[in-house]
Amino acid sequence: MTTTGWLIVGFPLAGCILIGLLFNRLSGRAAGIIGTLAIAASFLCSILTFISLQDRAAGHKQVVTSLWDYAVTAGIDAKLSILIDPLSIFMALVVSGVSMLIHLYSVAYMASDRGYVRFFSYLNFFVFSMLLLVMASNFLILIVGWAFVGAASYLLISFWYRRTTATTAGIKAFVINVVGDVGLVLGTFFIFKQSGTLDFLGTFAQAGKISGADLTAGCILLLVGAFAKSAQVPLHTWLPDAMEGPTPVSALIHAATMVTAGVYLIARMWPLFEQAPEAADVGMIVGLATLLIAATTALAQTDLKRVIAYSTMSQIGYMIMGVSAGAYAAGLFHLMTHAFFKALLFMAAGSVIAAMAGEQNLDKMGGFRRAMPFTFGCFVIGGLALAGIPPFSGFWSKDEIISLVAERGGWHWILFAGAYVGSFLTAVYTWRMIFRAFWGDPVPEAVELEGGHLHHAEVHRNPASGEEEDTGVGFPGPDHHIAEREFPMRAAMAALAVLATVGGFLQIPFGAVNAIDNFLEPTFAGSKYYSSLSPSDGFTLLGLVIGASLGLAGIAVAYRVWVQRPGTAARVRERLPFLYRLFLNKWYFDETIDVLVVRPWAAFGRFGQATFERVFVDGVLVDGTTGLVRAGSAAVRAIQSGFLRVYAAFVLLGLAGLALYFLIQAS
Amino acid sequence: MMLAVAKAPHMDWSALSPLVALFGGATLVLMLGLLRPRFVRHTLVPLTAIASLGAAIGLAIWQWDRKADLVSAALRIDGLALVLMILIFSAGIATVLLSWRAAAPVEAAHGEYFALLLTSIAGMALLVEAQNTITLFVAFELLSIPLYVLCATEMRRTTSLESGLKYLIVGSVGSATLVYGLAMLYGATGATDFAAIAKGAAGGIGTDVLFLTGIALALTGLAFKASVAPFHQWTPDVYEGAPTPVTAFMAVATKAAAFGAILRLFDVALVDSAGDWAPAMAALAAITIVVGNVGALTQTSLKRLLAWSSVAQAGYILAGVVVSSSLGSKATLFYLAVYLGMNLAAFAVIIARERETGLGDHIDSVAGLGTSRPILAWPMTLAMLSLAGIPATAGFIGKIYLIDATVDGGYTWLGVFIVVGSMLSLAYYLRVIAAMWMRPAVGTELTPAAAGVGGRPALAGGAASDPLDPTVAASEGTRRAEPEVVFVAVLFGAATLVGGIVPSPLFNLINHAGGALGIF
Repeated sequence: MTTTGWLIVGFPLAGCILIGLLFNRLSGRAAGIIGTLAIAASFLCSILTFISLQDRAAGHKQVVTSLWDYAVTAGIDAKLSILIDPLSIFMALVVSGVSMLIHLYSVAYMASDRGYVRFFSYLNFFVFSMLLLVMASNFLILIVGWAFVGAASYLLISFWYRRTTATTAGIKAFVINVVGDVGLVLGTFFIFKQSGTLDFLGTFAQAGKISGADLTAGCILLLVGAFAKSAQVPLHTWLPDAMEGPTPVSALIHAATMVTAGVYLIARMWPLFEQAPEAADVGMIVGLATLLIAATTALAQTDLKRVIAYSTMSQIGYMIMGVSAGAYAAGLFHLMTHAFFKALLFMAAGSVIAAMAGEQNLDKMGGFRRAMPFTFGCFVIGGLALAGIPPFSGFWSKDEIISLVAERGGWHWILFAGAYVGSFLTAVYTWRMIFRAFWGDPVPEAVELEGGHLHHAEVHRNPASGEEEDTGVGFPGPDHHIAEREFPMRAAMAALAVLATVGGFLQIPFGAVNAIDNFLEPTFAGSKYYSSLSPSDGFTLLGLVIGASLGLAGIAVAYRVWVQRPGTAARVRERLPFLYRLFLNKWYFDETIDVLVVRPWAAFGRFGQATFERVFVDGVLVDGTTGLVRAGSAAVRAIQSGFLRVYAAFVLLGLAGLALYFLIQAS
Repeated sequence: MMLAVAKAPHMDWSALSPLVALFGGATLVLMLGLLRPRFVRHTLVPLTAIASLGAAIGLAIWQWDRKADLVSAALRIDGLALVLMILIFSAGIATVLLSWRAAAPVEAAHGEYFALLLTSIAGMALLVEAQNTITLFVAFELLSIPLYVLCATEMRRTTSLESGLKYLIVGSVGSATLVYGLAMLYGATGATDFAAIAKGAAGGIGTDVLFLTGIALALTGLAFKASVAPFHQWTPDVYEGAPTPVTAFMAVATKAAAFGAILRLFDVALVDSAGDWAPAMAALAAITIVVGNVGALTQTSLKRLLAWSSVAQAGYILAGVVVSSSLGSKATLFYLAVYLGMNLAAFAVIIARERETGLGDHIDSVAGLGTSRPILAWPMTLAMLSLAGIPATAGFIGKIYLIDATVDGGYTWLGVFIVVGSMLSLAYYLRVIAAMWMRPAVGTELTPAAAGVGGRPALAGGAASDPLDPTVAASEGTRRAEPEVVFVAVLFGAATLVGGIVPSPLFNLINHAGGALGIF
């Protein structure tokens, strides 16, 4: 079991290195196939580990396995070790499974890109980092994995590195993620200071003994890390921009896996968060705020991928709220179903964007229903799951979170109400997207595709800025690929469509099926909330009915506004100009951060540069140091004359110095 | 009375067997070298040398758990000796591989070249086993004298001759100092073996002028061999002039042997008077770190650069000796092992490029290596990063270990020196990396004239009967480095990386060595 556990992490790393080393030998789709097989092997190992974990006795389902001890100094137990337990295997299964399908999709989708091999090397590196993150058994490895996924995300967002918009987005994502990394590292320090160990299980064992203030501070700092990684308010602004990356990247990193790392972190740290209820409250409130802000923003966006990105933020808001409230299994359940349907939506969106020859603007789309029946079908399944329509997967997981949160009582009812408002908005914006892209009169591209020809842009342009591009390395390739014509894409999407449909049956309320709850139980043994939060059947039923009705109502509203009476949206816009502008401009978060953080710091930086740096740093430190080194270097060279007599003299001088020292000592 | 009871000491042949293998190998190689066939001289002789070194490693492993005094306590076999011996023998095998098709053995005759190499290695093995001042000095000379000759084996190149001569003369000063110091120690304690000196030193002899002067002189002699400033000045000149395989050998094996002797003399025998010598040694370490790093900054010859870098590294290693604790000695040994790997990788690449380009060891010879010869660029990159102490390389672990030891031993300021030195060192290590990956290749087509093949000065005697192999001379320049050189580079480059990611096997090895010393 430990071997397969290590292989889960090992295969993607091997794939990354192999593809990287053979970068100039791999032709055609070889790199994609190697990359996909590596992840498939990792998925297989996850399954094997899962099976052997199931065979173990109930009390022995948390296994730490250590490859070697990295620490050379006393006092830190830094081991390269992984933790195999239900939670980590659950995450490994989701991550490797979804990654495998997205790799498969990319085999075709990226086929004409000049950076094909590089893409798969990066993608495998990402999967390796993500698996390292979820399987870490101590804070050190967690931080390493955490930073690695940030780096992989940066590399992949900026994958088309000649696009200025992509590189800027990559930098933005990286900077905000580093803020999160700092939070995580500082949080670890606070906890380590009290517990004296970096090991998760060791820390959790003494969670009760850690004093309140330090623990709360540590947990809030951990939350900063989680918020940055999971794009929660106010550290969310990088995620919509990250859509500059290729669509499979958006599906893999910015929907299914990396952005859910924050959810995983809170779930993994449950013994700490249960001892620090203030921090958990912060998590719940931020989760609710994010889910509402993102859902309203998604209503006004016109970029297809950005709408889905805001939807991702919003759904992660549910998960963060859930796991912060103690609904761990529900949050993780939603993490899984969301990975299925959101990856599916992104893949379908990629197919549509390909049919539009790279264009992502919803305003220019329409009527693709007949031209792309398969993509349309997938989009609808994803949309139904996202909107929470029974029996699709999102329905079961979202409602479980909401009813468990309400079960906490008191002010948590606010969360309950807010979450249902979000649920209605989700249905509206999801179906707005579907109606606008697939209903209505077919746009020229759709007509062309119905005639059997895939639209091909005369001049390649950056969809965001409209700049002209060539198709060399660093820009998207010349050809586009749609699911209707590529078997790998279709296979991946079909698999996800099935999962998005039936994935919810793993956990059905009223005690019918409890697969996820039962499987994860050992990780959460001893939790205050895990098994005690159990709403009554009547309340559960009420929640399900409300959820389903709100979803259907949302779809109906969307249908009325965008299909039956196409002018309605414009009229609403005129009636409520303030709200429209607020949503269109994403609640002005970018502008606020600019005014509050970026500009003051930039001004401070300029001031510092003009005064402190020029005078002190440049003048004294830099010039002084270089001058000193230069003088030293000159002196050493001057002595190094090549003459033996000088050398001998120095031996004697040194000796004299030493002897003198000893003689002074002796006297 | 004394004369009457003199009797032959008991010889424990099994414990002496690695030395026997080396001396036997040296004799055999010398004899084989007399035979005429080309195959014997060019292939059989180096193979025999490798075989005898391999046998010595095997025998050392056979004796792995021995802890015993040998030959009337003149020698001691224990974990420290065995680990260092294995390190030195491995460096020896690498040197034979690097010399296999080099110019030096051809010019000096194969038999002589490899026999000298084996003798010098035997001297090093003896030195790390030495447990009294007489053996110490004999071993010291046994390792030095063949090295003086080896430095001068490219007899047609004046810089090689200069290198040998310089090493001989300055080395003699070092040897003289050492023997004088050992004599004074004898005078102060009345004993030659380390155990007795330790006993004498423990009895309040710490303020004895004769004793302390003796320590100063002995330290000077050993520090000279280990390239510790201000006794380092021969290093850049000799390293640059000597044939590159010999330079590689001197850089790693001599240093390991010298530090082995320093460890045994200072951290075992004189450990009780550490309060007297440690501050002086700490000052030497600090000076060495600064001088070595500053000296390396402006070098354009890779061999000179590595020579200065080896001075700086000697400073780091000495810091581990200064603290005279168990942790310090282990850190010293650990760093010696790491240092061996990264330097051999770097020198192998330099040798490969010397043979592939006409640029000698100039930094231009590695320019553009990242695109043209990634299989050489990677080991060099790893070696440079490791020497600079970048994480995920063995050098990083080694430095952490050393810094930990200095802080633990109350010499935090010396740890700061190591850090500052590493910072400075990035300036020149990164320059090599930048040249490899960020600069285009400098015209590397070699004309025979540029290589000096046609223009070698005539030489009377010596290897006149064995002119340079014509096929080698004709194909020089367009040829690619031989597989054995690339193998050495890749092997030690990979070891540097693996040691940085999986350091625990090396830790276990070092702990074995550490368990042998009295202070542990």
